[in-house]
Amino acid sequence: MWTIGKLTVKEMISKRIFLITIIMTLIFLALYGTAIYFAGKEGAEAGDGGQGTEAFLMQQFVASQLLGVGLYFSSFITALLAIMSSVSAISGEVSSHQIDTWLMRPISRSQFVLGKFLGLAFLLIAYAISLFFSIIFLHQGIGAEWMALDIEPFQMIKAVSVFAIQPFVLVAFGVLLSTRMTTLNAGIVAIILYGAAFIGGFIEQFGAVVEKTSLVNIGIVMSLVFPIDSMYRKMTILLFDSADNPLSIAQGGMFTSISTPGNIMVWYAVLYGAAAVVFSIYSFKNRDV
Amino acid sequence: MDVIQTKSLTKTYDGKGGISDVTLSVGEGIVYGFLGPNGSGKSTFVRTLLGLLQPTGGEGYILGEPIGTTKSREQVGYLPELFRYPDWLTGKQLLESHAELCKIPARQRSRRIEEVIELVGMAGRETGRISGFSKGMSQRIGLACAILNDPKVIFLDEPTSALDPIGRKDVRDLMVYLRDQGKTVFLNSHLLYEVESVCDNVSIVHQGEIVAQGAWRELMMTEAQVEIVTAGTGAVQFPPFIKSWQKGNEEEGRTRWILQLEDERDIPKILHHLSSGKVDVHEVKPITPHLEDVFMHWVNRKKESAYVDNR
Ligand SMILES: Nc1ncnc2c1ncn2[C@@H]1O[C@H](COP(=O)(O)OP(=O)(O)O)[C@@H](O)[C@H]1O
Ligand SMILES: [Mg+2]
Repeated sequence: MWTIGKLTVKEMISKRIFLITIIMTLIFLALYGTAIYFAGKEGAEAGDGGQGTEAFLMQQFVASQLLGVGLYFSSFITALLAIMSSVSAISGEVSSHQIDTWLMRPISRSQFVLGKFLGLAFLLIAYAISLFFSIIFLHQGIGAEWMALDIEPFQMIKAVSVFAIQPFVLVAFGVLLSTRMTTLNAGIVAIILYGAAFIGGFIEQFGAVVEKTSLVNIGIVMSLVFPIDSMYRKMTILLFDSADNPLSIAQGGMFTSISTPGNIMVWYAVLYGAAAVVFSIYSFKNRDV
Repeated sequence: MDVIQTKSLTKTYDGKGGISDVTLSVGEGIVYGFLGPNGSGKSTFVRTLLGLLQPTGGEGYILGEPIGTTKSREQVGYLPELFRYPDWLTGKQLLESHAELCKIPARQRSRRIEEVIELVGMAGRETGRISGFSKGMSQRIGLACAILNDPKVIFLDEPTSALDPIGRKDVRDLMVYLRDQGKTVFLNSHLLYEVESVCDNVSIVHQGEIVAQGAWRELMMTEAQVEIVTAGTGAVQFPPFIKSWQKGNEEEGRTRWILQLEDERDIPKILHHLSSGKVDVHEVKPITPHLEDVFMHWVNRKKESAYVDNR
């Protein structure tokens, strides 16, 4: 299992796409940093004029929006990478017949699937966590005083943990699909579900704003079917919602949350991922390769 | 104990193709040929034994362990027909990964890897990436992989498909070397001459069924012929057990005959008969039958018996 896991990690790293991803990520971070830098400077200059609640509200809103944008985009790239790398995990090896020489070794099918999953999950979670902290540090650091939000370390830990659930679920789900489908089909299914989860999340937010329970329910059902978007929203709440900040609601907006997923949703997502792993093992057990 | 044993092992794809009802046992220290044209089910059979395919019927054992279990694969090596290895690894890294999977103790790994690289004639080229390997080199590294864990039984599925004549000879030598070490080699091949030169026992398969099984020598004796050159140009009295013969050309007062035999072992009796009939014999040459003919002989025989059975 560990050998397969190690090989999976090495394979990903050795691919050209890995290098491209790293470079593109750095470019993204550089752009984000630049944007934050200028926004922070402008904000500080504009903020000099007025003191008081209004200015403070304004600052909090803009700053959390900008952080929200950065994190949302990060979660989006992570999701895409998680889907792309996992939907071929098994099916790719089967169709190229490379799997034959691994599976003829004295390892079980479940060890193979677990190894693949662990390797991919490790990489994607590592990527998600680095991206998360890069964004936070850029935002809090380069954004300087004006940009900085009051986020406690413990809050950050909680938020990043929830942020990491997303690649975990997506990798588990992608691997599950790839035990049964061709790479292309699995990719299409995963992307569509991801899109549906995104729209479901949006409908839920919208429903909460206009106070329509049926819309909220649609969103909730969608996040049960594919608990991805709900994890992003839970993360933003953990990050922005400090108890001693009565204005936290005001920080909302497109990239943060109004209708809030409960803690139970977090456990649901973790179980969902774990179940996907169990099902992949089961699904691959007696399959012809 | 039999190294490989199957009882009515069957693997069909939705009821079609594949291979059906294979019962065989392969002993230790031999090269066993699994011989048949393309599409006859050879690869299916081996892949079922290795647990890559789920049998649809019957049972199979490798070294006494039921197929499909991890234990049954502990002492096994395999070179697939469609060999593809992760091309981002170097040859050596590939072998290292496999050594890890086979749980070869870390201390012995590098020495064993060097050994097998030497054995398959890849020394000096093992540090290149597999993506830069020719098909022949990939096949050699595949062979190295197959024998890496010093397995008791090695499955080779068309092991020379990508090799040149020298490579083919190397593989043949390797098989003989393995057999001499007491290993069992299970060779899938559609090339009769490949099987002929090394196999002790064979199964002949055709359209997913075994049509003949046994020692290669015995299976080959089906169509024994002998060429005899006698003095004189007249008729010769052959022993009554020779059912048919053909007269060949006459040269310098000698005549060439081709005799159809029931059994190769009859040759001394013929000579005895001729010499007691005062016929001078200048030349005796057993004719090895055309391999394709032997093959067709068994296929046809199976068909005939099936025809009789069906009536
Ligand atoms: N995955 C598969 N699905 C359906 N039919 C298959 C599959 N693999 C092989 N077959 C069929 O099974 C038969 C045996 O194939 P194979 O075992 O590859 O033969 P060989 O190795 O002797 O050339 C062929 O008729 C082939 O078409
Ligand atoms: Mg074949």
